[in-house]
Amino acid sequence: MKRRTSLSCPLSLIPHHFVVSRHWSFVMSALLACAHSAIASNQIPAKPQEKPIAIVNATIHTVSGPTIEKGMIIFDKGKIIAVGTNAAVPSGAEVIDATGKHVYPGLMSADTYIGLTEIGAVRASNDRIETGRINPNVRAEVAVNPESELIPVARANGITTMVTAPDGGLIAGTSAVMMLDGWTWEEMTLKAPAALVVAWPFMSVQQSSLKSIEDQKKEREKQLNELANAFRDARAYMIAKMAEEQKGIPYHKIDKRWEAMIPVLQRKTPVVVSAFDMQQIEAAVAWSVQENVRLIIHGGYDAWRVADLLKKYNIPVLAGGIHRLPYRRFDRYDEPFVLPKKLLDAGIRFAIVSGEEAAHERNLPYQAAQAAAYGLPKDEALKAITLYPARIFGVDDRIGSLEVGKDATLIITTGDPLEIVCNVEMEFIQGRKIDLSSKHTQLYEKYREKYRRSKP
Amino acid sequence: MINKLQCGLILLGLAILTHTSISQTTPPEGIRVNTPTVHALTNARIVPSPGKVIEKGTLVIRDGVIVGVGAGVAVPADARVWDMKGQTIYPGLIDSYSDYGLPKAPKPEPESEQQQRPRPTAEPQRGADYWNTMVVPQNSAAELFSVDAKEAEKLRAQGITSALIVPQRGIIKGKSAVVNLGDGKPNDLLVREGVAHHIQLADEYGHDGYPGSLMGVIAMIRQALYDAEWYGKAQEAYSSNKSLERPEMNEALAALREVLGGKIPVVIETRDELECLRAEAIAKEFGLKLMLRGSGREYRRLDAINTLHRSIILPVNFPETPVVDSPPEALQYSLEDLRHWDEAPENPARMQSAEMQFSLTSATLKDASTFLGAVRKCVARGLRADAALAALTTTPAKMFGVNDRLGSLEVGKAANFIVTSGELFNEKTLIRESWIDGKRYAIKPLPELDPRGIWNITIAGRDNRDSLILRLKAEPELLQGTFRKGKQVNLRTVSRTGLHLAFSFPGDSVGYEGVVRMSAALGENTMNGTGEWASGEVFAWSGVRIGAYVPDPDTTKPKPPEMSSFAPVYPLGEFGRTRIPEQPATIFVRNATLWTSGPQGTMENCDLLIEKGKIVRVGKNLAAPSDAVVIDGTNKHVTPGIIDAHSHMAASGSVNEAGQTISAETRIGDIIDCNEINIYRALAGGLTTSHILHGSANPIGGQAQLIKLRWGMLPDEMKFEGAPPTIKFALGENVKQSNWGERFATRYPQTRMGVEQIMRDEFQAALDYEKAWQKWEKEKTGIPPRRDLELETILEILRAKRFVHCHSYVQSEILMLMRVAEDFGFRIRVFQHILEGYKVADVMAKHGAGASSFSDWWAYKLEVYDAIPYNGALMHEQGVLVSFNSDSDELTRRMNWEAAKAVKYGGVTEVEALKFVTINPAKQLMVDNRVGSLEPGKDADFVVWSGSPLSTYSLCEQTWIEGRKFFDRDEDSKMNGEIQKQRAVLIQKVLAAKKADGEAQKKKPEKKGDEFDHHGNETIGGIEQ
Repeated sequence: MKRRTSLSCPLSLIPHHFVVSRHWSFVMSALLACAHSAIASNQIPAKPQEKPIAIVNATIHTVSGPTIEKGMIIFDKGKIIAVGTNAAVPSGAEVIDATGKHVYPGLMSADTYIGLTEIGAVRASNDRIETGRINPNVRAEVAVNPESELIPVARANGITTMVTAPDGGLIAGTSAVMMLDGWTWEEMTLKAPAALVVAWPFMSVQQSSLKSIEDQKKEREKQLNELANAFRDARAYMIAKMAEEQKGIPYHKIDKRWEAMIPVLQRKTPVVVSAFDMQQIEAAVAWSVQENVRLIIHGGYDAWRVADLLKKYNIPVLAGGIHRLPYRRFDRYDEPFVLPKKLLDAGIRFAIVSGEEAAHERNLPYQAAQAAAYGLPKDEALKAITLYPARIFGVDDRIGSLEVGKDATLIITTGDPLEIVCNVEMEFIQGRKIDLSSKHTQLYEKYREKYRRSKP
Repeated sequence: MINKLQCGLILLGLAILTHTSISQTTPPEGIRVNTPTVHALTNARIVPSPGKVIEKGTLVIRDGVIVGVGAGVAVPADARVWDMKGQTIYPGLIDSYSDYGLPKAPKPEPESEQQQRPRPTAEPQRGADYWNTMVVPQNSAAELFSVDAKEAEKLRAQGITSALIVPQRGIIKGKSAVVNLGDGKPNDLLVREGVAHHIQLADEYGHDGYPGSLMGVIAMIRQALYDAEWYGKAQEAYSSNKSLERPEMNEALAALREVLGGKIPVVIETRDELECLRAEAIAKEFGLKLMLRGSGREYRRLDAINTLHRSIILPVNFPETPVVDSPPEALQYSLEDLRHWDEAPENPARMQSAEMQFSLTSATLKDASTFLGAVRKCVARGLRADAALAALTTTPAKMFGVNDRLGSLEVGKAANFIVTSGELFNEKTLIRESWIDGKRYAIKPLPELDPRGIWNITIAGRDNRDSLILRLKAEPELLQGTFRKGKQVNLRTVSRTGLHLAFSFPGDSVGYEGVVRMSAALGENTMNGTGEWASGEVFAWSGVRIGAYVPDPDTTKPKPPEMSSFAPVYPLGEFGRTRIPEQPATIFVRNATLWTSGPQGTMENCDLLIEKGKIVRVGKNLAAPSDAVVIDGTNKHVTPGIIDAHSHMAASGSVNEAGQTISAETRIGDIIDCNEINIYRALAGGLTTSHILHGSANPIGGQAQLIKLRWGMLPDEMKFEGAPPTIKFALGENVKQSNWGERFATRYPQTRMGVEQIMRDEFQAALDYEKAWQKWEKEKTGIPPRRDLELETILEILRAKRFVHCHSYVQSEILMLMRVAEDFGFRIRVFQHILEGYKVADVMAKHGAGASSFSDWWAYKLEVYDAIPYNGALMHEQGVLVSFNSDSDELTRRMNWEAAKAVKYGGVTEVEALKFVTINPAKQLMVDNRVGSLEPGKDADFVVWSGSPLSTYSLCEQTWIEGRKFFDRDEDSKMNGEIQKQRAVLIQKVLAAKKADGEAQKKKPEKKGDEFDHHGNETIGGIEQ
């Protein structure tokens, strides 16, 4: 226990003998490497919006409504107060002339673990997977590191909001909708819990596995039972706790796990279930109906194969990642690319998620673009990473489109943010003007300087 | 009386069984056995060799040897006579590849379990053997062989009387032997030792060291063969001059020398059709007399394998019936799987049609008792019966050099034969007995007495007004019957043991009480016995035969088997084609936006003229030749074929040989997998050339292979002809095993300091190696130097004949390696990944190193925490030749987007950015004279895009290589339709086959449980089928 404490301490608190001990030298080298640049990012969180801001002469992509050429958008105290072509600019407002530029709502990553990891291979920097298989009570937001270098990198490409999710086991914990700006995780949190995160057991048995078919079936049965029992136990707990109000019913001790699941059972919090193939999705839907919980399918590779079922129960799909290889040899090469288009055609609600490592989440818009290249209308591709995820996670009253009353969480770009060659020039989160520099731009500048100096 | 008779029979049986030709040197135990060994099998249908029949012949054997066979052969006066009326005699079958009587191979262990135990420390070497315990040519089946009576009985039941037995352990496994499957002493059963050496190309037996990859296996086999060659020379030199430095003694190499120059055959075991080609390459290099142990997948590349002209030992292990009962279950099976299920049983027939020489083996079957059934399935699926018989008798006998003793029924050959109830490959035919060296082994022999027929029964002391009739039918070994007294009832039970019959019937159905039980001593036409009424009262009875047995007519019509459904495509299954795309003589791309990546830059409304796969002209308003295939490029963009300088696709087995710190001897070129579906998927993203690299587990890794994505062609045909050889190096966390887990903390090096030293040490060793050879070439005296595949490769680097591509991340190690190279007088051609290249770009430019980088990956491990997406642009500005690579089968499908990131991060122009995935990697790989730009004289490798290649909304419509269209989005759609159609047809076929199997089993309620195949839902190959 002591050891763990000391390892997670800042460098200066580590007892001297650890520093000189050979045994700990590898730990130290890792810590040292982090210490000089990593533990805190250099970007300073933005100040609250001090005065009204009017962006004028821009192409305004409202997402929820028509696109406005030569339009303007005005926001104050973090909220959008006007969108149009000739709204009155309040006195004292900062006016940003965005001629030739475009304004979009900030992009939303509906599935990432930014903040819960720093360096994939460095164990000490990972807070994404709690041990054990049933962890409904762990909360992603409390472990999000606002100092992560991954945050400025992602937001520099227009991602302003994320759903940070835990992983591992069967019930991983609850995710949270976070803004990519703030001094603390509390300041960053927009909505928590966002959803309970569940990984559906693998349903199909693999003929080629070294494990026997029987063993695989047993393992599947065991996991399905474990999952089902968790929900039944939680429901029993909820009923028992609710009954306490009645006369003669004794007090029931608090169970952190089942307590955390009450909002799920009451349908206040949805369940995001990772389900990939047809059998998993069918099973997850049947289960959600039985348990009467609000289901969101995550992954959903085969979702189009069970479109009628998903539509019947109005279950949305977090489709992703689009950038993946086809799962089956007989799938067409573009099978992952065309999934969103198929979902749209089938009338299923969806958002696009990347399935990427957290560090690479900045490329989320290009996954949407890939779907657009293969048939999804461009405006739908944009919605799939703005308005649609906001709706699925119930934050569309705050973000996801440019409408009066919503948060002034938006980006000014040189063009279509789904194009790689486009750049984000300014960014606002709740009206706060965001520093778009990052570790990457700083190292870029540093070494440009090296070569400037070495020039004759 | 009855008991005595029974006893006598049992004793007689035992006498036959225990009469053995005890090896001459073994002292007898107890009383000597001297039963006469002269037999005459008469009235038989004899098939003395494939294609020949003697309708009513006699076979005479004496002392285990055939002394007469034919129609008019006289029965010697001293012979014991066996009437074989209605039976057929065949030569005994030879199993061409077996582990019978030998220690079994260790089972593969799941990786998860391997991870849990500590890494084994090297066992101390025993004996003067090869340094690697996987090379054991000194092992000999003749020495390891012990008799396994139970297994032998199982194989004999399949008609097998002899087998080639092959040592199971190791990669170079030792020598095989032909043995007979009788019981007795190994001395008597061993027919021929030292038949062939055996090699397997497998890396999957869960040992934890070197080699741990297929390419490592091949490299080690080659090195061992070179070592064997050297060993002979070294020993000869030493024997003529004992004052020389004494060369090592090595029993393994001494044994392996035999195979060089084809003195004795080498069988290489293959697991798929491509391994036949890999085996051939080894055989060619060393002049081996090669035979192949096939995989059952040869039909996929029959022409290519046929041209090898090698004998093939063919397993008959057909895929299990796919489980497709529900749509989700069916999703697990690719079209390749389904087609393999559909076509594999025709593999032998197709080989026969191609006139290839092959024998058949039970090897790789889960259960050898399904062997004959599987062979019968081959016959049902087109293999001629005489060809099947040849593949089980004369062909293997000849291949294994025992055709003077085994394989046919001729005077002077061993009395190894089988007696069957009919045509061997008819599914209903029983193997009755097998004879080995003149010794009889009963399997399902004809009973000496057949009780089937109609019997009139008389019960003593009873009123026999009603005639009592007993009918016995079905098989003599497995009787059924009825009892009639006015009314007829089925017998409840009926059994016969020798000449003893017992049965029971429901007496109350015919006017008696309860169940009546009776037994009797059987004679040819009479039986006499006792019975017991329900009351317990005993009675005597007798029976007289009044009618012969007339079998029920067989009403089941033999159904012709359903043959495979679809024409061959290459590769088999998804997106394969019947032939490679044609190359039109002239192609004209009209009015496109051409991104030439050459001096002409990017031009709109431009034309491209191609002849015989080469670009001829690039320009505006060219005239289209009248015979040209025209591509309308209006609103399209055309770029050179995309080149990925860092990929690991299309390789069989691991791309890391992590068993040793330096694996320069391994070659990716040995393991190209042309069946890899990701080749096709990459074509769909515009990729035409890919640099397939060894992994980054070693400071000095293996040799790389540049390929063109000629989907449908063979591995060697995919290789980029004449591309300068390259090799993979690696630095940093991977080679010092930082992220491998706690089990990996001892291999040298564990630090970047050690990495530098191991590099220097190796280069120095290569120079010393060169000196030794130079001295030898000059003086030709002393012990000759040993050819070392690893150092030879390193030397190529030092002599600028092979070019280094080094996986690297942090600036210290990048700088270090350049300095090491400079000290040894060579240059690092390309740094791969090179994510901190931007920090030392000036030094790299001066050194002359190229950079093949990830566009924007970072933070997945500590050494890439300073990676920035501006890396490419910064290096480019400093004059470094920059490309972007994928290192990923997925990312390699959209390299054009990666190029766009050079525009986004650092403002590289669009024209220059595209070069990051076209001409720049071509230059790095030194093939820019052939590919990388659209310029006259270059290969017509190009891509047609729906829009700008740097736009995320564009898609690849066509991909051409050398004027052949290897991808077309419209064709893809059609092929997809065909795939879905074929899957649907085959799924129905599987379901129908399963239904037929199910019904066949229902019809045979009398089948004994232990004769079922318990290994799956199907009984393919089951003898009872």
